[in-house]
Amino acid sequence: MSVAPHKAANAFAPTIGTPEPGPPPERRRRVTPLDLEQAALELKNARARFISVFLADTPEPALMGAFALRGELVVLRAPLRGEEPVLCGELGDWWPAARWPEQELLERNTPGSLDEAGALLTAPDADRLGRQVRGLDVFSIPYGPVRSGIFEAIQFHIETGGEDVPRLHTRPFFKHRGMEARMSGLSPQVAVHVAERVAGIASSAYASAFSQAVERALGVNPPPRAERWRAVYAELERMACHLDVIAKEAETTALYVGQARFQILKEQVMRLRARLTGNRFGRGVIVPGGVRQDGTMDLDEATAVLDRLERALRRDRRMFVGTASMTDRLIGAGWLERTLVEEFGGVGPLARGSGLSIDARHERPYGEYARLGLRVITERAGDAMARVNVRFGELFESLRILRQAIDHLRRRDGELLTALPEGASGAAFGWVEAPQGELIMWVELRDGLIGRVHIASPSLRNWALFDHAFPKDVLTDFAFIEHSFGLTPAGADR
Amino acid sequence: MLEWIQRGLWQGRITTRYPRVAESPPNGYCGRIEVRQDSGASPALAELCPTGAITLAERDRVILDRGRCILCGECVRAAPERFAARSVYETAARTRGALLDGSLEEELPAIRRTLGQQAASLRRSIHVRHIDCGSDGSEEWEIQALWNPYYDIQRLGFFLTAAPRHADVLLVSGAVTAPMRAPLERTWDVMPDPKALVAIGSEACSGALTASGGHTAGGVDQVLPVDVYVPGSPPAPIAIMHGLLLATGVLTEAIVT
Repeated sequence: MSVAPHKAANAFAPTIGTPEPGPPPERRRRVTPLDLEQAALELKNARARFISVFLADTPEPALMGAFALRGELVVLRAPLRGEEPVLCGELGDWWPAARWPEQELLERNTPGSLDEAGALLTAPDADRLGRQVRGLDVFSIPYGPVRSGIFEAIQFHIETGGEDVPRLHTRPFFKHRGMEARMSGLSPQVAVHVAERVAGIASSAYASAFSQAVERALGVNPPPRAERWRAVYAELERMACHLDVIAKEAETTALYVGQARFQILKEQVMRLRARLTGNRFGRGVIVPGGVRQDGTMDLDEATAVLDRLERALRRDRRMFVGTASMTDRLIGAGWLERTLVEEFGGVGPLARGSGLSIDARHERPYGEYARLGLRVITERAGDAMARVNVRFGELFESLRILRQAIDHLRRRDGELLTALPEGASGAAFGWVEAPQGELIMWVELRDGLIGRVHIASPSLRNWALFDHAFPKDVLTDFAFIEHSFGLTPAGADR
Repeated sequence: MLEWIQRGLWQGRITTRYPRVAESPPNGYCGRIEVRQDSGASPALAELCPTGAITLAERDRVILDRGRCILCGECVRAAPERFAARSVYETAARTRGALLDGSLEEELPAIRRTLGQQAASLRRSIHVRHIDCGSDGSEEWEIQALWNPYYDIQRLGFFLTAAPRHADVLLVSGAVTAPMRAPLERTWDVMPDPKALVAIGSEACSGALTASGGHTAGGVDQVLPVDVYVPGSPPAPIAIMHGLLLATGVLTEAIVT
């Protein structure tokens, strides 16, 4: 399935740094802080995708860079000695994907070194906007953080002459809650509750990524049955998120019956999860080492629910894509060129809508996905319609995966939990394809307790692209484009 | 368009009749944790809870603060003889004190009747505004769900309004992060009297997981007076509906006095 990408990755021969051992498909390299920029440039030239830069403590304080390269996770580790300042701020000049992660790193680790409170990324002030477009009749609209409707807090600073949008600036971090720091000092079984609440609508994805990082750091393999259950919860979550996006698109066009139809389907998925796990968001089941329990619902009944859902969904999709008032607003709106998405390291349905076949389940198959076949759905158009079509395709792909996994679960019994070694230490990455895109977590363990955690969330990485999604659109297209991104500020802000 | 109308009619009625008829959660659903036996506890019990919801009072009595509880179930797994998960939706309360494991549900049928009447006495016209002050995003989903065909809260007369100046009820989710404090205060200030503030979710009730991190105020009531607390992580749509109906009581009382 993913044999070819692995072979191709061997063709990349880095010249900077020395290799270090790491659990495959991680490819760790040790560099000096001064060489980090050159090593990153080498990776960019090899067409790697930027993921994140952050500080790590294990085994020693170091500046870390994470990159995805053809089925591998390339990690650059630059140990910092003593008082050496954090060298950063250069990558963003030539790699747009690095801008926000670098700025966040700088602001968090050297507080007070940057003035201009309004320009801060991580401590936004709703009233300080920093206008950039000048001209007659140009006015600026601060949209958010308090928005009409039931939305999460984020601010968009829109500068417009009335119709065209010459500049749009996204301002995240209104709801930074320090969730990464909250995990440190907890045992992995307790810290997973925090991970589930980083981005509530992607609880299973966050719990799985966290658990996989802990398992890889400690060299533990969860039982196959647990991995199947994780895939079931992950796909149900993907369905709920995708249906939510489609319902919101229908609401924006005032296609109220359509909105109600997709809301009904989403609620059915939520209720199915509640019956399987006791929680409408599937929380409290996935833990490091496996899952806590089998689903608390008859699996024949679950399959029957999915069958009914699929029949209804087929009809609703046909009607949705056949309603011209709907598709007219989506086709051509929020156009993102493929190269732009690549530059910004876009992931998830957004990248797949622009023709990039990026999917963590396929690139670096984990858990059940290493055994299941996966059809990566891509569209070429790069507009809001393409992103909605990718989601429609993935809904049916999720249903297929669900059937396959549930069928296995019904036929065979097995273990659910592998015990973690007591008081062990280690550090590793864990990743999953969340509904919003590829989610990567770096987790360190010291004597059995969680140390530093870093989350590279799909929402933050994709949101940088929102500023560039209005090349030929007008202000009234805003809501369509925002919903088609399908991101969550809670995940971006952490 | 005709096809859509047919499609809508084909579905039939799926809407809940709550609060007139009780809505029961699926088996195994965890809506609140209750203390089964509260005496003779050891201090080790308090260590079980990641949010510090379990405390010991005088004479080794256990108190479970439902406003801090995130329903993770650690205590139920470690001490099943003391703690139990209850499969209920209605968890909201008018005071913070009532969340310290008070027993509310005994008189529930009577309360449900009053709740329906209260909404009617406000001429079925209650305008709701929402503000997110640092939730995890799931509370927003559950609030949005109130306007879907399963819950359809408009049948009780609740409408979503875009402007706080038209709002009677403010729903707040999240523990109030530093950048959201001023926007929250400003939103509350411009709302006309009488008005009610409903804290949605354990984060909003007490800060829960984020209370200790220093990034949040540790609950909405640290910033503004809260009228109704709806604990849960996140509370289910019926729980939020219950909280909204309790808020109508706040409004009717304010009109009478």
